[in-house]
Amino acid sequence: MIDFLNYLINGALVGLLYALIAMGFVVIYRASKVFNIAQGELVVFGGFMVWWMIVQAGLPMAVGIPLAFVAAIAFGLAIEKIFFSRLVGESVFSMVMVTIGLLILIRGLVLVLFGPAVRPFPIIFPLKPIILGDILIPRSLLFGGLITIATGLGLSWFFNATRTGLRMTAVAEDHQVALSLGISVKRSIAFAWALGATLSTLGAIIFLSGKSLNFLASDIGLAALPVALLAGFESIAGVLLAGLIVGIVQGLVTAYVDPAVGGAVGSVFPFLIMLAILFIRPTGMFGWKTIERV
Amino acid sequence: MLELNNVEVLYSDVILAVKGVSLKASQGACVTLLGANGAGKSTTLKSISNILTTEDGRVTQGSITFEGARIEGGDPADIVRRGIVHVLEGRRVLRHLTVEQNLLIGGHMEKSGQAVRRRLDEIYTRIARLAELRKRTTGYLSGGEQQMVVIGRAMMSRPKLIMIDEPSLGLAPLMVEEVFNVLRSLKNEGVTLLIVEQNTRVALGLADYGYVMESGRIVLEGAASDLMSNEDVREFYLGLNLEGERKSYRDIKHYRRRKRWLG
Ligand SMILES: Nc1ncnc2c1ncn2[C@@H]1O[C@H](COP(=O)(O)OP(=O)(O)OP(=O)(O)O)[C@@H](O)[C@H]1O
Ligand SMILES: [Mg+2]
Repeated sequence: MIDFLNYLINGALVGLLYALIAMGFVVIYRASKVFNIAQGELVVFGGFMVWWMIVQAGLPMAVGIPLAFVAAIAFGLAIEKIFFSRLVGESVFSMVMVTIGLLILIRGLVLVLFGPAVRPFPIIFPLKPIILGDILIPRSLLFGGLITIATGLGLSWFFNATRTGLRMTAVAEDHQVALSLGISVKRSIAFAWALGATLSTLGAIIFLSGKSLNFLASDIGLAALPVALLAGFESIAGVLLAGLIVGIVQGLVTAYVDPAVGGAVGSVFPFLIMLAILFIRPTGMFGWKTIERV
Repeated sequence: MLELNNVEVLYSDVILAVKGVSLKASQGACVTLLGANGAGKSTTLKSISNILTTEDGRVTQGSITFEGARIEGGDPADIVRRGIVHVLEGRRVLRHLTVEQNLLIGGHMEKSGQAVRRRLDEIYTRIARLAELRKRTTGYLSGGEQQMVVIGRAMMSRPKLIMIDEPSLGLAPLMVEEVFNVLRSLKNEGVTLLIVEQNTRVALGLADYGYVMESGRIVLEGAASDLMSNEDVREFYLGLNLEGERKSYRDIKHYRRRKRWLG
């Protein structure tokens, strides 16, 4: 029973981490309709920025972390400007091709700048786990989970109730209508990329705190993909819930099924969920169904 | 107030959809632009709001002047800021958002959140139906309700000129009347209106002046009352001729139509 609780809680927290990464993905997709396959590379880039500021440059965290965010945001804006600003309204296919190119490019850039070596990531959250009776919870995941929930609810409110957020939601729904109301679609998309890069960096900090970092950390972006799909691509609050579901299922399958079959079913399970969703309900659980009224 | 001079619009560098249109709407006037499918009415409006860019179109010739300033090819946001708002064809509500969210987005240029709220209350008093529907998701509203939402949303930006594209399309007669009542109240208030319609009768009932478009050109213009009694308009757009039978517009040779209109 205690074991079960342990798996459940840790699964949920890992799921929330996926949700945070997926949020970056969703924010970019909503505004620009770019299905950013390179989301994991943004996490790696953000991670390396944090590593560079704190470990290489030796800055204190209070300075280094904000600077890393600034650098990541600049990077996100640059990507948007260089690769996507001219592609607004192009087909999904060409956008996907560009994001694949982007993935390879960022990976190459990271290798050139920081090399393939494994680097120690600074300890942002204390390593000592929180112990509740017999349950053991890593601090980074717990704090990360709380940050993710707060971020998700905050973003949800932002997109539904603030003026800037509503502008972005209008852009998410219909570029032409947004333009006809005098909303700058370009600015909204740029803002989305900045936000996406911020969320990725936040994800990197929670994911990597006290661990090691190299270019392979981008795999977390892949793990977040099923979460975004399960949620549907538009609902931020839905991403939280989808993250919890994927994380818990993955945790329990890893704990109980993997030993029985002697394989890594747990790690592929999210992708099985993803395929199932694609077959059953491509708009996800909370995504915008195309409302049909004739 | 608004003046188009010999405007040409080209889509994708090959399709000439508007071929030298000149029209005018003076301060406080209600002008209607009539014409059959594909005549280029929507394109003309898009050239003014300059949302042509999203469709790979552009103004290749002529000028568009609003309150003395040239606006052709300008930034759509700047055009809205100057006081022109374009209500697109087909009741384009933001379907997943509520009525209130749609309206708030329409007022996004107000200086403060409070100013938006004040404007929102004004709109609710003006169009009481919207107040009743404020929490409803617009995608599930009836066509008439959606048309009210997009008009209200356009009004949120306190425009001097509202361009509206086929507001009566697909609405029941009673609903058409309700929509045009709102437009009439705007007109009475001094807002300049440019209405694109296929429902000629209703449009000429409200407008002061009308233009008739055909294959990208203005082929006829005049005071609304004159157009209403014009034999051609009666025949082709009001569906009446002297024998009282409906005749297809296409039945008559093009050169003859031209000749009669030009004559
Ligand atoms: N995005 C576009 N790309 C290419 N051609 C277009 C585009 N939009 C419109 N056209 C063409 O331009 C012409 C005028 O179209 P427009 O939509 O302005 O007509 P309309 O008078 O509004 O017609 P309707 O009454 O059917 O709405 C048509 O021949 C149409 O095929
Ligand atoms: Mg049209």
